[in-house]
Amino acid sequence: MEYEPTFPHRQSAHCESGVVANLIRQRGIEISEAMAFGIGRGLFFGYFPFIRINGLPLVTYRSVAGQIIRQFSRLPGFTLQRQTFRDRDRAMGELDAVLAAGHPVGLQTGVFWLPYFPRALRFHFNAHNLVVYGKQGEDYLVSDPVFPAPVRCAAPDLARARFASGALAPRGKMYYFAATPEHFDCRPHLRSGIRGVCRAMLGSRFPLIGTRGIRFLAGRLERWPARLGRERAILHLGHVVRMQEEIGTGGAGFRFMFAAFLQESAEMLREQLLQDSSAALVAAGDLWRDFAAMATRICKERTRPGDSYDELAGLLRSCADREESVFRTLNRWAG
Amino acid sequence: MNTMDSLERELLVLICRTCNLQDVDMDRIKLNDPLIGPDSPLGIDSLDALEIAVTVQQEYGVRLNSEQTSRVVLQTLATLADHIRNHRQQG
Repeated sequence: MEYEPTFPHRQSAHCESGVVANLIRQRGIEISEAMAFGIGRGLFFGYFPFIRINGLPLVTYRSVAGQIIRQFSRLPGFTLQRQTFRDRDRAMGELDAVLAAGHPVGLQTGVFWLPYFPRALRFHFNAHNLVVYGKQGEDYLVSDPVFPAPVRCAAPDLARARFASGALAPRGKMYYFAATPEHFDCRPHLRSGIRGVCRAMLGSRFPLIGTRGIRFLAGRLERWPARLGRERAILHLGHVVRMQEEIGTGGAGFRFMFAAFLQESAEMLREQLLQDSSAALVAAGDLWRDFAAMATRICKERTRPGDSYDELAGLLRSCADREESVFRTLNRWAG
Repeated sequence: MNTMDSLERELLVLICRTCNLQDVDMDRIKLNDPLIGPDSPLGIDSLDALEIAVTVQQEYGVRLNSEQTSRVVLQTLATLADHIRNHRQQG
């Protein structure tokens, strides 16, 4: 009977934080996805109208792809090996060699080329992270954090996904932890994770980033119907909601995840301020969700009394106010 | 056979009202039919899912906090009803 390697697969809300948490757990260190997301400074907001995705402006509710992995590679005791490739065969050969050495490997891939995704969910997104933890015959054993259980992927399909072309092309990117600390204490890293997110949300002089960026989007959004016409305004609005990436949570999911990190941190440090900030961020997340729900009603032409672009802009400004208050409090605490 | 309890029936009505689905034959919807996506007999998508999540929180006091929770809970009417039964007291 062929030996089948095992991996501590856990389904996650977000692929990068899920992969990092799963890779670290595989090394014997218990860590939640929320903790990986927080220490990795995953929360962010940016509105970049000069970068277009399918002709529509880029809105992001999380840090740039690769930020969480990069942040962990800087922590004492963690050694992360990273490689990108020009040659497909070399990339697959190196993957096999690292697997043979006993290391599960994180890969950046293009979702469109992964055959185990239902066809309706395959879209052109090239920064999807997953873990390959073994190979049987021509099939790789894959822990894809958005799936409830491990899956298999044929070698040619995985090679194609690793070399998908277009925006954020992965160029065969692979990474693995060559070393991790024998004992990892999260506590010293909580404060720096919080500080990093506070700086990103409050400290940028660039008006498209952080809480200023949320207000900038509010100003743009309320003028869309007049500037773009009804149809294109709906396209833009739907895009803002779809970019929130969260089925049923309207992007508030990232706010909820950072709130979970704050709550875990509060328990570890016995710090009431973090507990209160967690609750305040959940309230901000609920407001994001109200925004997304109203936007959906407008996009789907089932508006209720009071639904309008002006109201949406008002909700966005309230989100910005609440988040600014949370992050100012946290920033004073983190120092 | 469609053995829908009152909560499942109530949820189906709520979903149809929330998503403004007017021509649904409710007796043909089964407990374990996919709720969201191309195979859903209701034809609802991820944007609709978001509004359903908000409405469920308002009506039953049960939160769907993460994509993982939503993905699992909003699979079928049965999974949604189970989630509400299990979490209603905590809401």
